[in-house]
Amino acid sequence: MSDTRRMLAEMADPLFADLGPGASEDCDLSRLEELGLPLLLVSEDEGGFGGDWLDALTVFRLAGYHALGIDLPALIVARVAEGERRHELMAFARTAQIAGALDAALALSVGYVNERQQFDRALGKFQAVQQSLASFACEAAAANCAAMGAAQALGRGSAQFEIAAAKLRANRAVEIGTTVAHQVHGAIGFTQEYALHQLTRRLWQWRSEYGNDAFWSRRLGKAVIARGADSFWPDLTARTD
Amino acid sequence: MQTFVTEAVDWPDSAPALREQVCALVVEHGERDPVKRANSWTKADPGFSRKLGEAGLLGMTWPAEYGGHERSQLERYVVIEELLAAGAPVGAHWIADRQSGPLLLRLGNEELKRRWVPAIARGEAFACIGLSEPGSGSDLASVRTSARRDGDGWVISGQKVWTTGAHVSHFMIALVRSEAGSERQQGLSQFVIPMDTPGVTVKPIIDLTGAHEFNEVFFEDVRLPASALLGTEGEGWKQATAELSLERSGPERYLSSMVLFLELVRHAEGKDDPALMEMVGRLAAEAWTLRLMSASVAAKLARGEDPALEATIVKDLGNSYEQAIPQLVQSAIDFDDADAEILRAVCFYLLQVSPSFSLRGGTREIIRGIIARGLGLR
Ligand SMILES: Cc1cc2nc3c(=O)[nH]c(=O)nc-3n(C[C@H](O)[C@H](O)[C@H](O)COP(=O)(O)OP(=O)(O)OC[C@H]3O[C@@H](n4cnc5c(N)ncnc54)[C@H](O)[C@@H]3O)c2cc1C
Repeated sequence: MSDTRRMLAEMADPLFADLGPGASEDCDLSRLEELGLPLLLVSEDEGGFGGDWLDALTVFRLAGYHALGIDLPALIVARVAEGERRHELMAFARTAQIAGALDAALALSVGYVNERQQFDRALGKFQAVQQSLASFACEAAAANCAAMGAAQALGRGSAQFEIAAAKLRANRAVEIGTTVAHQVHGAIGFTQEYALHQLTRRLWQWRSEYGNDAFWSRRLGKAVIARGADSFWPDLTARTD
Repeated sequence: MQTFVTEAVDWPDSAPALREQVCALVVEHGERDPVKRANSWTKADPGFSRKLGEAGLLGMTWPAEYGGHERSQLERYVVIEELLAAGAPVGAHWIADRQSGPLLLRLGNEELKRRWVPAIARGEAFACIGLSEPGSGSDLASVRTSARRDGDGWVISGQKVWTTGAHVSHFMIALVRSEAGSERQQGLSQFVIPMDTPGVTVKPIIDLTGAHEFNEVFFEDVRLPASALLGTEGEGWKQATAELSLERSGPERYLSSMVLFLELVRHAEGKDDPALMEMVGRLAAEAWTLRLMSASVAAKLARGEDPALEATIVKDLGNSYEQAIPQLVQSAIDFDDADAEILRAVCFYLLQVSPSFSLRGGTREIIRGIIARGLGLR
């Protein structure tokens, strides 16, 4: 990670944690503006932060991780894109937010099962619980890698394929992630008081926004089929070579 | 919590040229039948392996002194993913090139290294893995095949099972109990056993598809010189498990059914069928993601890190993907349709083989147990 990106993360992380799900544009936008975050992707020449796509990934992911109540990614994207491009970039943003929120829900779940005792031991000692959480970890890992892959592709130029693939993969991770998170929490996770729903309700929303599974899989599949079977693998590797 | 730290993979500049080299070799000497291109890393073709050796595509990262080519780990990664995506018959040398050669170079004495490593790099020596026994599957620490000292040397007695490629291999690296009465992970050592040593017997096990890929291997008082001990006596468990990240995260853990996906795309060409588009899109997205994940682990291994948790995650997701492809294809395609003949043949083959994907190299349950430990649950 570059030094500026580490600094960005060290700035955004505690701020987003502090603002949390309860933040609103009316009361709290100024705190984001003080750090120049809405101008993250605006170039330095134009008075912006001059961030790149990996910087954007860092901020979007942390916004997801802390279930930030303000839609900061939308503010950031609105400054630099409109129309179809905006839709595509928002799909990337939601992918990164899903990745962050899944990691947060996983951390919450692991912490909870290590605390909660039933049958005289921590729930985390039961193999059934362990195996479910392992699947969840795999899905969270896939969503994070997909978000990273899309950010890298944006840095290289055209990222239509990668954004489609990444949003689709992240969408699919929401299913196992939210299901397991709620299952291992039992009834407490179903309350308004406990923080899990701040993450899971957003995850369900983000899965639909800027392209659900059907939207992206159809678009991606159509493109792959149009290129033909013999082009799939060479195309895939040419994207990174 | 971030269980899988991803970073940009720095693909080598030589990648396009390497891909072209592999493709040319595969076009000339590879397998044409799509059914035989499925799960191709268990398909042994010694002639093809020798061609790769001649082309400098085996032992790519090893020192020139031992017949290697001193290329980078990621250059090797490019070559193996091309071979697998093309369904090339790489089974004969796969294990030797992936793990036995590196293990010998890391821990082997000079005699072992000179005897085996250059021959592996030429595509002339093949290896098999001797871990599982009749009483020792997932619970590997219960192995009972024994090595006892005899003068300067050793005598091996016992049995291994499910040994892939034992019948085409020149040597086995076996995990055995070298200290009588020792328990579990203690008292285990690794030995390099030439398959033509008197007392070694290989018996085929035919799998449910009718193929002969794995075997039983019996050891009846097999005498070995002192130099057959690999690494340190008593350190066998640590040595054997250290290789697992290499074994678990490679592209072979998600590409075994790639040929079926490609046939699905071919079948969908010109059909304008939204259901097929969705399925193709979903499977393409997964392939793209898994490739990034697997390459990211390779990049970490190349830097000398041991991304053990990431490697197991790649195996679990990759195996599920390889298994999902034939299931999804069967659920969607009308196999009574004459135009689906190839798709049907590949699909039925993979439906039969795919249960093994989440068994070989550690079962799904064992892999998820390791992930759970990585999460701090055990
Ligand atoms: C195609 C193929 C090739 C192979 N090649 C080789 C090879 O070359 N060399 C070699 O040494 N071995 C090889 N193996 C063997 C492989 O490593 C074993 O099959 C595997 O380790 C599982 O052992 P097992 O078959 O005895 O099953 P078992 O260990 O008996 O397990 C049966 C079932 O019970 C589950 N189970 C076991 N223990 C637990 C637990 N603690 N908690 C929850 N569930 C559990 C398993 O996950 C599995 O689902 C190969 C296997 C296959 C299928």
